[in-house]
Amino acid sequence: MTRLGKRQLGWAAAILIFLAALALLPLAVGRDDVLNFVFLILLSITLAESWNIVAGYAGQVNLGHAAFFGLGALVARTLWIGGTPIVLAMAAGAGVATALALLIGVAAFRLRGAYFAIGTLALGEISRTTVGNVLSDISTLPTATISAYRLSHRYYLALALAAVSVAAVAALAASRVGLGMQAIREDEDAAAASGVGALGLKLTALALSTGLAGLAGGLFAYYHISYYPSHPFSPHWTFDALLMTFIGGVGTLHGPVLGAVLYVFLKEYLALRWVDFHLLIFGALFIAIVLLLPGGLVQAAERARRLLAR
Amino acid sequence: MLEIRDLVAAYGDVRALSGVTLSVGSGEIVALLGPNGAGKSTLLKSIAGLLRPRAGAIRWEGEDLRSVGAHLIVERGLAMVPEGRRLFGSMTVEENLELGAFAARARPRKRANLDRVYALFPVLSERRRQIVRALSGGQQQMVAVGRALMTNPKLLMLDEPSLGLAPRLVRSILEALVEINRGGVAVFLVEQNVQAALTLAHRGYVLEAGRIVGEGRGADLLRDPHVRRAYLGPLA
Amino acid sequence: MILAQQLLLGLLIGGIYGLAAAGLSLVFGVLKVLNVAHGELIMLGGYGAFWAVALLGIDPFASLLLVLPLSLLLGLALYWALFGFVVRADEETRVKNSLLIGFGLALALHALAVRLWTADERSIITPYGGAVISVGDLSIPVVRLLSLALAFALIGGLHLLLTHWRWGQAIRATADDWQAALLTGIDVRRAYLLAFAIGTGLAGAAGTLVSIGYSISPSIGLEWTLKALIVVVLAGLGSMIGTFVGGLFLGLAEAASAAAFGGPYREVVGLVIFVVVLVLRPRGLFGR
Repeated sequence: MTRLGKRQLGWAAAILIFLAALALLPLAVGRDDVLNFVFLILLSITLAESWNIVAGYAGQVNLGHAAFFGLGALVARTLWIGGTPIVLAMAAGAGVATALALLIGVAAFRLRGAYFAIGTLALGEISRTTVGNVLSDISTLPTATISAYRLSHRYYLALALAAVSVAAVAALAASRVGLGMQAIREDEDAAAASGVGALGLKLTALALSTGLAGLAGGLFAYYHISYYPSHPFSPHWTFDALLMTFIGGVGTLHGPVLGAVLYVFLKEYLALRWVDFHLLIFGALFIAIVLLLPGGLVQAAERARRLLAR
Repeated sequence: MLEIRDLVAAYGDVRALSGVTLSVGSGEIVALLGPNGAGKSTLLKSIAGLLRPRAGAIRWEGEDLRSVGAHLIVERGLAMVPEGRRLFGSMTVEENLELGAFAARARPRKRANLDRVYALFPVLSERRRQIVRALSGGQQQMVAVGRALMTNPKLLMLDEPSLGLAPRLVRSILEALVEINRGGVAVFLVEQNVQAALTLAHRGYVLEAGRIVGEGRGADLLRDPHVRRAYLGPLA
Repeated sequence: MILAQQLLLGLLIGGIYGLAAAGLSLVFGVLKVLNVAHGELIMLGGYGAFWAVALLGIDPFASLLLVLPLSLLLGLALYWALFGFVVRADEETRVKNSLLIGFGLALALHALAVRLWTADERSIITPYGGAVISVGDLSIPVVRLLSLALAFALIGGLHLLLTHWRWGQAIRATADDWQAALLTGIDVRRAYLLAFAIGTGLAGAAGTLVSIGYSISPSIGLEWTLKALIVVVLAGLGSMIGTFVGGLFLGLAEAASAAAFGGPYREVVGLVIFVVVLVLRPRGLFGR
């Protein structure tokens, strides 16, 4: 195994151990606000890693990611309230999201670069507006479900899902399929010329990415007591995933995890510290990161290490 | 006038030029020969300022050009006709030519230079209102040469001006170069058509794998056995 | 007859779509940078006009004379502070970095607008706001008609600028092939700067017209970015007149679909047309 491969494996192990340690948190700290906060981080890790597969590994900036998150939420919520066990409902949501993604992907992958980005942005908005029009009423859990609500169930499900997405990306990165995707990212024409089936690989990346996004959407539907059905379709889910991934380091295993942790902490901290200005500061901070650390935290750490080793 | 010493250029880790030394004197026609991938285009791009060399010197009338921006190199009197012509495809012939006179050094002589270009290539005068994308390859090459002339250069560099053109057109482009040279403009010519290039050039250099491997007067290089074998084929 | 009235209103707002798209098209075509905060720049222009009218008491349309130059300056500042760094990268990286910076900027500007003007929807009340011209059964709101005429005048002015001004030609040359532009002595960075400033100026002008005839709020940014993008894809890059026509087309298509499927779907139909055009003709309907 190459040195890079070993380091990847090391990171995967470190993240999974960290997640395993978080499993003890509800036993140690019973406070709901802490669990809610960590839940948000875990959901963000899943969302960021899922976006990272298609953008970081296959190099396709998908700005319609929220559509698949939303679809997962919509299907899972409907089935779950209808009596289906939540895990099955989430799986169904993920399945529907993936199926739709494959259908759309064949057409959308005709587009390259910026055109793919704006095309998917439009698809996301189409889904949000349509859902908002058709299902305009707020979705609230039945009273019986609310009284049986346990935060720890949501917490453990989020933990499991974050672990699954990290493991999935680690496995992908080490596989031949993952290497093929990275070849497309570097140079699609050259990759195609060398016999890499570009469309197939891009569709694989999209399927995996949207499947995880659908699961994350299911988790969202399981977690929230009431929300407007169009809310999980909102483009800010896509932008959040994008920001977290780029802050951490796009196309790396651990970048999105670091990015998600930092993002949630920063956003919550700024919201507490500067109630009125927090988004303004946050936006400015993010721009500074893009300009000053173009490869994200991961590349910044890499550079620092090289400087120290000198 | 143009002196290049020990020039080294690279794309990432791949070296394209490893220590090139050559010169072009005032009023000269100098040909640069070499196989594909020898670094000829890299050399021209380095001189024009499109590529920053790693080491070595590019001196133009005594000034080091390496830290001068590409658009300011044009102001110094160096013009380049890039490989593949690189015209402004959505614009007319005349707009392309007028943009050639964008530089401050060229603006006062815009009218005179435009007349000169139309005299050199009368067909462009007929087509002046046409969008260049609709022109034939030969006419597009004329626009490219004309646009470079509009910058009022002292040295005109051309990267494979005959590429993809019919023999008759090649001849008329090359004849135009001689004509331009007679007007006092030095010409530095990268050309695959070795026979033609060496016939009209005063001097020539042979560039292989990023190094100069031969130089001499045009006529001497034409008789050189290595040049004959490598570039003119067994039948020549 | 209701249909004809709806189509008329669609045409009137279409002119503003065209103006909104012209700035985005210029920036995208010349810098190869996709500024997703374009809608937020439109929003800022709208509030600028709102402020000018509220504080100085000038005529809403006259506020353009203030908003347009201020937007140009804002464009210069944004280029120096942000987008000037983006254009140093190769084209692939440019698009990604500009998306990122655009999102950051959109976030910050949205927050700023909420802070300065609250999240409420606002529009400028004009003394002649209620005036209409009746033609047969059609009634044409005077304010919106004026807005369309102004939008057209601005696009025409831009067209003249790009074809007859020395730097206008340089901007077009840079859009065609920036390396060739360098070889003709054009300072490409300055062409980028000018194109970005003009693009921002057009966004400010579009925002002014939006706040007069329609309404603005801090969250309209994404919606307007999308409208502008739809028009850019419909019209292709390169022709400002084509962009204006594309805007009119989108306005008509939205009105027609609202008539056919009901108001809430007007956004959807524009987006669907957009996606279909994008997939079938990735370079736009009227593109080269």
